[in-house]
Amino acid sequence: MRNLFAFFRRFRVFLLFALLQVFSLTIYINYLSFPRNQYLTTASVLTGEFLKLENDLTKHFNLSKNNLALQKENIRLRNKLKMSLYKLEEGFIKVNDTIFQQQYTYIPATVINLTVSKRNNYFTLNIGRKQGVYRGLGVFSDKGVVGVIHNTSEHYSVVKSVLTKDINIDVTIEPIGLFGLLKWSGRDARRGSISGISNDLRIKKGSKVVTKGGSGIFPRGLAVGVVEKINPIEGEPLWDVVVKFSENFRTIQRVYVVKNLMIEEQKNIEENIPDDEEE
Amino acid sequence: MNAVTKHIIRFILLWLLQVLIFNQLEFGFGIHMMVYPLFIMLLPFDLGILSLLLFSFLLGFSIDIFSNTYGLHASSLLMMAYFRPIIFNFFAPRDGYDPLKQASINDMGGSWFLFSYGNLLLIHHFWFFLIEIFRMNEFLLILQNTFFSVIISFILAVVLQTLMIKKVIPK
Repeated sequence: MRNLFAFFRRFRVFLLFALLQVFSLTIYINYLSFPRNQYLTTASVLTGEFLKLENDLTKHFNLSKNNLALQKENIRLRNKLKMSLYKLEEGFIKVNDTIFQQQYTYIPATVINLTVSKRNNYFTLNIGRKQGVYRGLGVFSDKGVVGVIHNTSEHYSVVKSVLTKDINIDVTIEPIGLFGLLKWSGRDARRGSISGISNDLRIKKGSKVVTKGGSGIFPRGLAVGVVEKINPIEGEPLWDVVVKFSENFRTIQRVYVVKNLMIEEQKNIEENIPDDEEE
Repeated sequence: MNAVTKHIIRFILLWLLQVLIFNQLEFGFGIHMMVYPLFIMLLPFDLGILSLLLFSFLLGFSIDIFSNTYGLHASSLLMMAYFRPIIFNFFAPRDGYDPLKQASINDMGGSWFLFSYGNLLLIHHFWFFLIEIFRMNEFLLILQNTFFSVIISFILAVVLQTLMIKKVIPK
């Protein structure tokens, strides 16, 4: 017993160091994979209030630019309204509720904290479970896709943004309809890449990249960016497609959370797909 | 001013600077500006390493909570605190450290500060980016981020010390 105490006394510095180190690394790794702990993140009430205060001070810096963007979006939406369409004939425009059932609903939100220079960047939103936000919902702005909800608390939520390691949003390159997964290399907040595009097809520079909507998180056709460069990958029959994001994440403020009302139905029916059986 | 109050004020000041200003600035090239390691550096020479570890954990964790990094800053600051006595021993003056002095650039001189704080920052930043990126095929990115960030953080530390610490005029 005395030897044990002597051992502890001799290595007490290293033991304390190892203990604290293991503790912090466990939290870090746990959080990346299973976000359960809400008390130690910006989604918690105390830190959320603090960051909201900070945002209240700094949000006016980009006010005129944001107002302009919102105005543009308003004009675009107003153009789609029934009242701004010209009636060619009686009964020409018919909104029939049995044909158009609502699939997606949107919740407006404000980004109150964000980083863009880390390897994994998370944004904090000012809405939470009270407003009906939960893990797995998509987030986008008027210019393009932003990310997926990662963690929520009563009044705040944390978004895993496009600028993270394993975001893997399924996207398509517009006119030809090629599918791929969106990745981010961690170097440049304005550019990402698409993996899994085979090099037997020609891709034009400047073609639009939009969401595919296959996983049911985003509606089909939300803008992501435009193709900027196409590089061959050595030794593989694939293109490395560089995408310039249409959203500048450094100045993002207003976003929308999108909720798919039919996702349960899609999941249920996809569960019935039989697994590949090994022979 | 009491020495303990001075350190507490420094803790809060550096924490606020890091969370409110330097976490929000962004320059590209993978530069992260970190000022909070300066607090651990400026703690007294004769402070035991156990309390050094506890302080560094406390500071690192309080920064983590406000920047969505969940233990990353705490882990790298612990690394730095663990290596502080080793680096200090290595660069010790011939007749040991004067407990009345601080580990600042004014008290200890420019070259001593460059070697000891530079090495500690190198350990801190390298560990930080290693754990954050954690991929062997992005090792060049880790080295690049570490290199640029260490330079910027070091310059910041020198500037902050000239602003914060009053120069003691020798009698």
